[in-house]
Amino acid sequence: MKGIEKRLREEAKILLDAGTVSVVLAFRDGHNEYCPVPFAARDVSDVDAIVFNEYCTHNLARYVTEYDPGTKIAIAAKGADSRALVVLIQEEKVKRDDLVILGIPCAGMKDARRGTVIDETTTGGTLNPVIYDILLADPLPETDTSPYGVLADLESQGHDARWGFWQREMSRCIRCYACRNACPLCYCDPCFVDQNAPRWADKSPSLASNLMFHLTRFYHLAGRCVDCGDCSRACPMNIPLYLFHKKVAKECEEMFGQVAGMDPEGKPVMVDFKVDDSDEILI
Amino acid sequence: MAFDPTILGIACNWCTYTGADLAGTTRIQYPHNVRVARVMCSSRINPAFIFRAFELGADGVLVGGCHPGDCHYSTGNLYARRRLAVTKKILDFAGIEPGRFKIAWISASEGHIFAETVSAFTEEVRALGPQTKFAVAKGND
Repeated sequence: MKGIEKRLREEAKILLDAGTVSVVLAFRDGHNEYCPVPFAARDVSDVDAIVFNEYCTHNLARYVTEYDPGTKIAIAAKGADSRALVVLIQEEKVKRDDLVILGIPCAGMKDARRGTVIDETTTGGTLNPVIYDILLADPLPETDTSPYGVLADLESQGHDARWGFWQREMSRCIRCYACRNACPLCYCDPCFVDQNAPRWADKSPSLASNLMFHLTRFYHLAGRCVDCGDCSRACPMNIPLYLFHKKVAKECEEMFGQVAGMDPEGKPVMVDFKVDDSDEILI
Repeated sequence: MAFDPTILGIACNWCTYTGADLAGTTRIQYPHNVRVARVMCSSRINPAFIFRAFELGADGVLVGGCHPGDCHYSTGNLYARRRLAVTKKILDFAGIEPGRFKIAWISASEGHIFAETVSAFTEEVRALGPQTKFAVAKGND
């Protein structure tokens, strides 16, 4: 990780010095070493503040859409970050030419709040960036563990048991929208849940309105979610939103044969169709 | 009293709604349980409509559109097919029985198929009983 941090600073310095980019999205120290925070380095003098360690789990692709179109941005991108960038490129939220992607192959990232290692079961299954301009470390061997294995238990339950599970989880939601705000692909302004006419979901937390918000959000991320798990890590109530996102991603992969965020030339499955999609999927 | 399900029907203007009209003008009997809302195309249906219907106490939702390839807007129902398929999987994983949500392709000339679909779906939902999950959470059971 120290090697990556050193390379990141070097590359950031070169890019900012040459004026190739106007901002480098990376991390700096937070109030302690376990809480690095996203950081936009705008000047060569900022570069020494950049850090990278195993707690740098935020998906930085979330900040790319905050800049005016045409802004040249360099971004430190882990596997899932790069996949989110691919989706943003597919959806024309950002141009590939405006990005300098500093790819970071990394494994063994840790969830600062829980102290646990993030692996395929808790998202973070993509170890290597799928697109990059500069790779800051040697690519890691991809694991062959299915990211969907963690779903087996819930899938084997009956509908009533599953309802009970989600009822317990969703009734805790306090509607802080941290999941939405952490998500690199939740860029709608206004979000459907903030609209007053029509009012899609009641504003105050209740099981029904929480479900209305989350189910619709799961749908909006169908075929787009890149399984970074930032929604679940951002959640102050520890709701395992990633389980539902994984399930929707799995179904999309099975029905439409495409994994989100792999091909910048491709289209997300929900804005595309095939004439010979089977009607079997509707049963 | 026997359970009488409340079902939201969402029908596309060009095929299913016209098919429902044909069922009526040809005096075909079918259950009154489906309340039909008309949309211009099945791709007009926001999946949030369906979640909202269940939240507001619907026991089932029936969506009707043109047969794939026959869409008035050429490709609307091909998009809708993908969207509704994902919606169905989401409801299933949340714990709402998938039998409460049905998608049917019914053309303007298929009044009898509309009536048969409504009759069969009403019986399926009746067999599942009242939808007490989403609706009770909202207080709309």
